[in-house]
Amino acid sequence: MLKSALLAALTAIVLALPGISAQAADMKLNTTADHSKFKELQREFTSGPDVTKACLGCHTEAASQIHRTKHWTWEVINPLNNQRLGKKNVINNYCISTATNLGACATCHVGYGWVNSSFDFKSQENVDCLICHDTSGNYKKLPGGGQPPVKDTENPPGSGKIVKAIDLTAIAQKVGKTSRDSCGACHFFGGGGDGVKHGDMDTSLAAPDKEVDVHMDATGLDFTCSTCHKAPAHDVVGSRYMPTGKDSGDMRGKVNKSNPATCQSCHGQTPHKAGAQPAKLNQHTDKVACQTCHIPEFARGGVPTKMHWDWSTAGKLSPEGKPMLKKDAKGHVIYDSRKGDFVVAENVKPEYGWFNGEVTYTLLGDTVSKDNGVTLINALGGSASDGRSLIWPMKVMRGSQPYDPVNKTLVKPHVAGNDDTAFWKNFNWEKAITTGMQAVNAPFSGQVDFLKTEMYWPITHMVAPKEKALGCVECHARGGRLDKIEGVIPGRDANRWIDLIGWLAAGGTLAGVLLHGLVRIARRKN
Amino acid sequence: MKNSRCRAADVTVLLACTTTFAFAYDGDWKRGRIYYRSVCTACHAAQAGGSIAPSDMTKAQWQGYLQADKHAKGKDSMKQYLSQAYRASIKAQNKAAEKFADVPEAELYEDLKAFVIRGAKDGDSPASCS
Repeated sequence: MLKSALLAALTAIVLALPGISAQAADMKLNTTADHSKFKELQREFTSGPDVTKACLGCHTEAASQIHRTKHWTWEVINPLNNQRLGKKNVINNYCISTATNLGACATCHVGYGWVNSSFDFKSQENVDCLICHDTSGNYKKLPGGGQPPVKDTENPPGSGKIVKAIDLTAIAQKVGKTSRDSCGACHFFGGGGDGVKHGDMDTSLAAPDKEVDVHMDATGLDFTCSTCHKAPAHDVVGSRYMPTGKDSGDMRGKVNKSNPATCQSCHGQTPHKAGAQPAKLNQHTDKVACQTCHIPEFARGGVPTKMHWDWSTAGKLSPEGKPMLKKDAKGHVIYDSRKGDFVVAENVKPEYGWFNGEVTYTLLGDTVSKDNGVTLINALGGSASDGRSLIWPMKVMRGSQPYDPVNKTLVKPHVAGNDDTAFWKNFNWEKAITTGMQAVNAPFSGQVDFLKTEMYWPITHMVAPKEKALGCVECHARGGRLDKIEGVIPGRDANRWIDLIGWLAAGGTLAGVLLHGLVRIARRKN
Repeated sequence: MKNSRCRAADVTVLLACTTTFAFAYDGDWKRGRIYYRSVCTACHAAQAGGSIAPSDMTKAQWQGYLQADKHAKGKDSMKQYLSQAYRASIKAQNKAAEKFADVPEAELYEDLKAFVIRGAKDGDSPASCS
């Protein structure tokens, strides 16, 4: 009897416990919808668009919203100079151009099937919801059409490498808010690899500690990308094509059209409240970007970034006639037959320049020449005197890339692909550029040469703890970080004679005071 | 006879409830990643002669390791390092332990498991220790 009573009591307790525990364990606090509970998602999905159709059943406006964004069009018109920018149009000094390389590049497009100009940009089902909203970390798309592998697939075809199928149902049932991981799945890998392009964005930001980024610190503030890069109607703010050089707008919460992704939008114009000389530090904010002092180095998370890329040496093959890879002591690739020579670096001190937010790209058709020295892929506007500029830290990507010496234009080579004209397949520049330029209806003389280029990347991520912010002498001393910056910088621009006169005046004043005092004392005694 | 049937039924219900609860929680690999790197790796790197990457072992090896619950070659239990008591003991020096101080041990175990299985040599996304 006693045993039965005990067992009954125990059972009652256990029955009650799961009720409480399950409520606590099952209830999700980071979302208002558990997508695994939706019947529409409790079925097998045979393709990416199949999932999108299910998403659109509830999120009726989402695809149309996406259609308006640069994540979809890869095209932006800069209202300041009417340049047609975006990944679809610009040329850079990494993998150069997306034009005929969409099979590779468009795996990061927020759509399905963009491989050439026949892509239907009006299709709602072609919108890829999962690329941003996957939380499982298992979503992926294959080159050559940007479709997710729903069955084991050999990729590239003929390589013998098998990409395992992914479970679209499981992924669809776990969709949620974007995260550092989902944004980073593309943005950490810009330029073709981890950390290659930006310098201040790589996989170390997926779960960084405070030393790498005070805002994204996974055990601290734990910002996601969208904490700063707000996305009203799916349109993510904070574009590099039209950046904000100097934010004089209000903090968030007020009605204004200023960029909510700037430091000032949260910290205001007088951010220093404590410390030794907050007023003195706040005097800097009208001339110096916050990032200049607070990001002393980039690529600080243990992932190197590319600093130099020399395409002119690409195409060398081994004695056996095969493509080669050379690595440095740390195992980082520094030569690839497909791409040429690289210089990679970690913990890089930025270069500095005045920047007012104006960016002018060198686009296809613009005249370039070796005689002009280095060609600027993107010239940044700004000066010490225009009143709209701040001193910004930059990653300067330098390189050498192919151009047409007869037509004097940059070129868009066809590099990625499994066809005979792709440079990474046949190592023939003439063929690769002919195909690439034909695809964009641009003239090509048939001759190839290489010219030096520079591309500027204002640095804004990897904000260090305040204790690691730059001290005064880093910038104000001669030979310091701002040694070559235009304008007058106290300390750096000191004049020896003026300093001498000042010291003499100060010394003379002090001597006069002392002498006067001594005379007064002496006369009182008398 | 009737009593024994009741008892058997009770035990069955009890086991079912326990089993249901044990599998109700879906491991959060991102939280597991933070704990693995900030607690496990931090300690291993500082005191145990070096870190162990999830990709150092296969999924089967990790599952075997977690099931055996042996740490330091069997000297102690691995699960104790996930316990709230352990987290409380190091939270003054470890921000991850502080952040996850109140997370139930069973959940943290599933989180960690989800991360190492996902990051295993043959996992969906082989992961390093940093």
